[in-house]
Amino acid sequence: MNKMIKKFKDGNVNIPSLILKVALIWFIFSFLIFPNINLLINVFVKDGQFSTAAVSKIMSSARAMNSLKNSFILATASMVTVNISGILIVLFTEYFDIKGAKILSLGFLTTLIYGGVVLVTGYKFVYGSSGIVTKVLMNFFPQMDPNWFVGFGAVLFIMTFSGTSNHMMFLSNAIRGLDYHTIEAAKNMGASQGTILFRIVLPVLKPTIFAITILTFLAGLSTMAGPLIVGGPDFQTINPMIKTFAQMQNSREIAALLAIILGVATSILLIIMQKVEKKGNYISVSKTKAKISRQKIENPVLNVIAHIVAYVMFVIYMLPVVYVFIFSFTDSLAIKTGRISFSSFTLKNYRHLFEMPSAYKPYLVSLVYSIVAAVVVAFIAVAVARIVTKAKNKWDKVYEPLILIPWLLPSTLIAMGLMMTYDVGRVNLFGKVLIGTPVMMLFAYIVVKIPFSYRMIRASFFSLDGNLEEAAKVMGAKPFYTLRRVILPVIMPVVLSVMVLNFNSLLSEYDLSVFLYHPFLQPLGIVIKGASEETATTEAQAMAFVYSVILMVISTASLWLGRYGGFSILKRIILRRTKKEAGDKE
Amino acid sequence: MIAFKQVEIKYGNFVAIENLNLEIQEGEFFTFLGPSGCGKTTSLRALVGFLTPSRGEILVAGRNVVNMPVEKREIGMVFQSYALFPTMTVFDNIAFGLKVKKFSKTEIEGKVRAVADKIKITDAQLQKNVSELSGGQQQRVALARAIVLEPKILCLDEPLSNLDAKLRIDLRRELKRLQKDLGITTLYVTHDQEEALTLSDRIAVFNNGYIEQVGTPYEIYNHSSSEFVCDFIGDINRLGKNILTEINTQLATSFKTDATGFVRIERCLTRARSGFAVLDAVVQDCEFNGILTKYTLSCMGETVKCLEKNDGYMFYKVGESVELYIDPKDIMQF
Repeated sequence: MNKMIKKFKDGNVNIPSLILKVALIWFIFSFLIFPNINLLINVFVKDGQFSTAAVSKIMSSARAMNSLKNSFILATASMVTVNISGILIVLFTEYFDIKGAKILSLGFLTTLIYGGVVLVTGYKFVYGSSGIVTKVLMNFFPQMDPNWFVGFGAVLFIMTFSGTSNHMMFLSNAIRGLDYHTIEAAKNMGASQGTILFRIVLPVLKPTIFAITILTFLAGLSTMAGPLIVGGPDFQTINPMIKTFAQMQNSREIAALLAIILGVATSILLIIMQKVEKKGNYISVSKTKAKISRQKIENPVLNVIAHIVAYVMFVIYMLPVVYVFIFSFTDSLAIKTGRISFSSFTLKNYRHLFEMPSAYKPYLVSLVYSIVAAVVVAFIAVAVARIVTKAKNKWDKVYEPLILIPWLLPSTLIAMGLMMTYDVGRVNLFGKVLIGTPVMMLFAYIVVKIPFSYRMIRASFFSLDGNLEEAAKVMGAKPFYTLRRVILPVIMPVVLSVMVLNFNSLLSEYDLSVFLYHPFLQPLGIVIKGASEETATTEAQAMAFVYSVILMVISTASLWLGRYGGFSILKRIILRRTKKEAGDKE
Repeated sequence: MIAFKQVEIKYGNFVAIENLNLEIQEGEFFTFLGPSGCGKTTSLRALVGFLTPSRGEILVAGRNVVNMPVEKREIGMVFQSYALFPTMTVFDNIAFGLKVKKFSKTEIEGKVRAVADKIKITDAQLQKNVSELSGGQQQRVALARAIVLEPKILCLDEPLSNLDAKLRIDLRRELKRLQKDLGITTLYVTHDQEEALTLSDRIAVFNNGYIEQVGTPYEIYNHSSSEFVCDFIGDINRLGKNILTEINTQLATSFKTDATGFVRIERCLTRARSGFAVLDAVVQDCEFNGILTKYTLSCMGETVKCLEKNDGYMFYKVGESVELYIDPKDIMQF
C-alpha cells in the first residue's frame, strides 16, 4: 500500500491502466464470482444456518431424480455411440481410401454449421410426424405411430450424429499428424491392416479420443435442446428440468441445486481432462515425418461394407440440412403435409424475413446481442491477456484463473446464478435490478464466451516475438502506442477469428437465453425452438426454416473466416487488388 | 563514450554478470564475443535499458544511464530476430520511430529514403510488406530502422546468425563499411569468432559472466590471455611435456614442461623454416578442402594438427614421415 502511495506521489501510476484493472475486477466480481457464490448461499443457507433442505427436496422429487438419472444414462450412452460414429467418420474421410471421401467429409462437417435448437429442430422436421423419414416408414408399416421419434432413443440418435464436431476437428487433425513412416514400418514387419489400425494408429490417437470422450460426456450431461424438443414427457434430463423448476417460484432452489450438481460434475471432468492432457500426447519422434496416405481396405467384403456405412451416415448427416433448405422455399401446405410439388416452391418466406418486422426482429435482436457480446468479450480477453502476459506482480496473474471460472460452469449454472442474484438491487450494480432488463442476457453471453476467447487470445500473445515490443520501446513508443500500432495488428487475425466464432455460436444461442431473454426481445434460439412445438403455426415453422438456412450460411462464412483462414485469404485478395491498381496507375 | 563500472546483473538469484568493468571509445566497433549463456547479450541489454543492473554504473558520454528510460538513451538496436513489425511495410517499419517522435511527413519521407539509399533498399522494396523480403533484405531493414533516428550508439545482437554463410560474409563487409561511414559507436554481440575478428576494432571475450580478455583482434588471437580465450578464438594444438622439452633443448628456450603449451594449428608447418624447432612426425590423417590441407600428425607420442596452404605440392600420404616446424614465439603458456 505504501508503495502504491509512493508511486502515486511520484506520478509513476498509469491511470488508464489502473481504471481498466479496477473495471475488470468489478466485472469479474459482479458476474463471474458473486452470482455463483450467491447461488450456493441461496441453496445451502437458510435463515443464516447451513441447510440441506434443497437436497432433501431433490431427493423427494421423482422428476428431479429421474432427470439426474436420465442425464447420466444419456451421457454414458452417447459417449459410446458418438465415439463410434465420430471415429468412423474420421477414419472414412482421413484414413481409409473411401471413394468420394471429400464429399463425405462435407456432409460430416455439417454439424459445425448448425447445432443446438436449430439442429434438433431440423432432425425433428425430418423424423417427426410429418417428416420424410416417417412418411417413408409409414408406407412400409402403416400401423406405426407417426410420433415414434420421441424419448431416449430419439435424443440419443440425434446426439450420435450431431455430437461428432470435435472428432471432425481434433481427431482429423491428429490423424493428419500421424507419421506415415510408422505405418510403413509396421507393414514392412508384416503387420496386417487390422493390426496397424488397432496397434499403431488408434493408440497414438488415444489421448485425443480420451479428451473428446470427456467433452462428449459433458455434452450429454448438459444437453438442453435434444430432450426439450424430442425427449417427450418421459425422458427429461437435468438442463430442461432446471428450466422447468426455475420457472416455478417454489422450486427455484431445486433448479439451483441441479445446476450446482451439473457444475460440480463438469468441473471434475474438465480437471481430469486437463490432468490427462498434461501427461502428454504421443508426439512423433520422427525427424522426417511423412504425410499419411489413405489406406485401401484390402478385404473386398469389408471394403463394400465400409462404403455402405459411410454413405448411409452421409445421408443421415445431410438429410436435416437438405430438408430444412428445401422446405424453406415451400409454402405452408407443403410444410404441414410434408409433400412437395412444383407449385409448392415460393420465395414468400424469404420475402417475409425482409418485409415483416415480426419476422426479422428476432434476427435483429440476435445480431445485436451477438455482435455486442463478441466485441466486448474480445476487448476483455485482450485486456486480461495483456495484463497477464506483462504481469510484473503476483496480483496481475490472479486475473487468469478468475477469468477462466466460467469454463468450469455449464451455461445453466451461469444463468441461474445471474437470475437468483440480480433479481434484487445489489450494491455492486448501484442498486439496479437486472432481471427483466435487456442487458441481463448480454452479460450472460459475455460471461459464457470469455474463457474460450481468453485462451485463444492469450496463446497469440504468448506466441508474439518479445523483441517486437522492445524494438518499439527503443524507438520511443509508449506501451499503449505499441499495443495499438504493433501488437494488436499482429494478433488481429486471432481476435477477429475469436469474435466471428463467438458471434456465430451466440446467434442461435438457447441454453442461456431461455432463462434470461427479455420478453419483447426474443432471440432466434427461442423463436426457432417455439416453431418446433406441436402448437406452432406453419408460418412460424416456415420462418424457422428460413432462419435456420440463413444461420447455416452465416455459420459457413464465419467458419471460413474464423477457422479456415478466410481473413488471410481476403487480405491477400485485397492486397493483390490494391497492388494491381497501384501498378495500373503507374 | 561508454563505460561499465562494477556492473552486476541478476536474474532472480542467479548472477549473470558479476563485476563488469569496460570502456568503449567513441566511434569504435566493439564486439562482445563468447559462447551461449556467457553474459554478452545480458550486458548489451543492460546498456540499451531492457535490464537494470543490481549494482554498478553504466555511463554514456559520462552520464549514468542506469535509471534512464530506454527511449531516452539514444541507442539504436538490431535484434537477432530482427523484430520487424510483420503487419507493416518496409517503409512503415523504418518510419516507425520517426512517427513516434512526431516528425513531419516530408521529414519522415526524406529520412527514410536517405537511409534506405545508404543501406541499398530499393524504392520497390520500401513498399513491400516485410514478410515478402528475404532474410538478408529483412536484415537491412532492421539496420535501417535502427539508424534512421541517428542514435549515438548502435547495438547489434547476433544480427547475422540467421543468414546463410555467403550472405553473412557479404553483409559483414557492408556492415563494416556502413559503420566506418557513419562513424557511429557500435556494440556487436556474437558467438562467431570469425565475425568478431573481421569486424571489430576491439573485442571483449566473455566467459561465465566475466570478461576474460579485452583487446584488438590481433592481440586476442595471437596473444590470448587465457586457455579459454585461446581455445575459443581458434583451433589450437596442446603441446605436452615431450615436445616442450625437445623445443627447450633445441632452441634453449625455457617453456614450463609441467604445463601445456598452446600453438595455433596454422602456425605448425611441415615446410622448412629457419629458427623454428624441428620435430619428427608421422602423418596419421589428411583432410583436403581445396584451399587448405589439415594434417593430423603423431609427434613424440603426442597428436599435433597442422594446416598447409595448397601450394601445388602433392599431399603427404598417411604413414609418411615428415618434419614438423614450430616457432617458439607462437607458443602460449598460461
